[in-house]
Amino acid sequence: MASAAEHHDDHDHGLAHVASIKTLVATGGTLLFLTLVTVLATKIDFGANINLAIAMVIAVTKATLVILFFMHLRYDRLFHSVVFVSALLGAALFVGFTLMDTGQYQQTNIWNPSAPPVAPIGPRPTTGG
Amino acid sequence: MSTAHDAHHDDHGHGHHGSRFIQHHYDDAQHQFDAGKLGIWIFLAQEVLFFSALFVAYILYRVHHGELYSYAHKYLDVKYGAINTAILIFSSLTAAWAVRCAQRNERAGLILCLATTIACAFGFLGIKYIEYSHKYHEQLLFGRYFDPCVSPGGNEFITKSNDCPGSKGSVHWDFGAGKATEGCYESSTIDQDPQTEGVQADCQVFETKVRIARGADGKETVTETSRKPIAERCHEWSLEEAEAEAEGGKQEAPEKFPCWKPSYQPAVCPDLTDATARAKGTAARPQVGILVEYGDHEERGEDIVIKAECKPAPKVTKELDILGTPEHPMQLGKPTIVKSHELTTHERHELEAMGPPPDHTNMFFTIYFAMTGLHGIHVFAGILVFMWLLIRALKGHFTPDYFGPIDYAALYWHIVDLIWIFLFPLLYLIH
Repeated sequence: MASAAEHHDDHDHGLAHVASIKTLVATGGTLLFLTLVTVLATKIDFGANINLAIAMVIAVTKATLVILFFMHLRYDRLFHSVVFVSALLGAALFVGFTLMDTGQYQQTNIWNPSAPPVAPIGPRPTTGG
Repeated sequence: MSTAHDAHHDDHGHGHHGSRFIQHHYDDAQHQFDAGKLGIWIFLAQEVLFFSALFVAYILYRVHHGELYSYAHKYLDVKYGAINTAILIFSSLTAAWAVRCAQRNERAGLILCLATTIACAFGFLGIKYIEYSHKYHEQLLFGRYFDPCVSPGGNEFITKSNDCPGSKGSVHWDFGAGKATEGCYESSTIDQDPQTEGVQADCQVFETKVRIARGADGKETVTETSRKPIAERCHEWSLEEAEAEAEGGKQEAPEKFPCWKPSYQPAVCPDLTDATARAKGTAARPQVGILVEYGDHEERGEDIVIKAECKPAPKVTKELDILGTPEHPMQLGKPTIVKSHELTTHERHELEAMGPPPDHTNMFFTIYFAMTGLHGIHVFAGILVFMWLLIRALKGHFTPDYFGPIDYAALYWHIVDLIWIFLFPLLYLIH
């Protein structure tokens, strides 16, 4: 409580926390940097699942940065966090329930890479590509 | 409660006498601000749930049919997606900065930040327009409107509507005989024209009439009754010529039909990972077929079978050999291939990208347009909101005790950015 009061005193006594330029620019810079990282990470083959995991970890990190600093949730009322996190839990519930019976379906490989469809093939373009 | 607030504020010499936009039914500026803020957070929670329905569709379809995603995402241009991500992040920064300016009563800064945010939003939609119009022209659309003429790897193929430049009339194609039909090849590794390279260029192609007799045991026996050579070589259409003709430009000399030409089959090569086929030297051969074209007003009779007798294809050189032999590894400029004869995921996807789309690839684009479209609508709504705020900022409505609308709009804008942060890797960066 004391630290919160102190924190409050560090800034203007306005209606809400004022983000410092340093925080804003650092957050924006990190987000741009992570965007670059996630694009470059795709170019390296770690296997489809690990590549997906890397991309998702980076996306979640970016989202957390946006929520904590751009959206001020770190300095905001706890209740706003509760509202937001409940929405995320709700979304997780949607996904979880929908995927619950994933294993109950027969394998329906629309396109089997080891037996690709015989396609009507046109002429090979002589330009482009 | 209100006295506690008042006491707190009076300690610091702030009252709630300031802005004329403080509504009378609120105790003070703080009360009004907090009420609005709770409201916008509940709205944002609703937005998360709103979008989550589409994410459920995405995830469900990807879990069951990941192969469609790994194929179809190659139609998307990472460059545009990455630029748009950067634009949205930057506009999020300016939106957050606008809040800071409003809180600190910096009017010029506030106006600049709001204007920059609007400009970025227009930039985002502009790039989205470029992407959407590419997809429209290439028939990369949702549902039954998905009917592209080229694979992501740049290979042409005949579509359902058969309205692509370059594919003329009713074409039937058949494999040529000879060794060259074994295995397959990745056309991106071969830049040369099959004719100039001499790969199976020297063929004699026949229309053969066959008689199908059904024996007593129900077995079909096919006997050749006559053969007629197809002497004419087809004109090799370049894409430019095809486009010029489609636009009614120069008229080519009429072709004689039927005619034939060597053709590639840019298909996925399942044999490439087959060690036995590689050992036999059949895996990495170019798969070349004979393409016989008929004119618009004639067609191949049902009893006609195309046969071709070709001189055996020249021995496949190292450069053509995608996998190579252990003694002579392939020079692809990709050391991974030399080290291991197993295709990496990336190379496998490159091969797949040369072939035609798997069935139901349209579902990827249905999901793509639903997600990016809904997101785009949000960006457009953001533009309207920020324009309204810009006008009010120019009028000087916002003060340190009344900046709620800026804060709420910025929070909305951050959620729009947040959703794009997930859409970008999920749609563009699939590995």
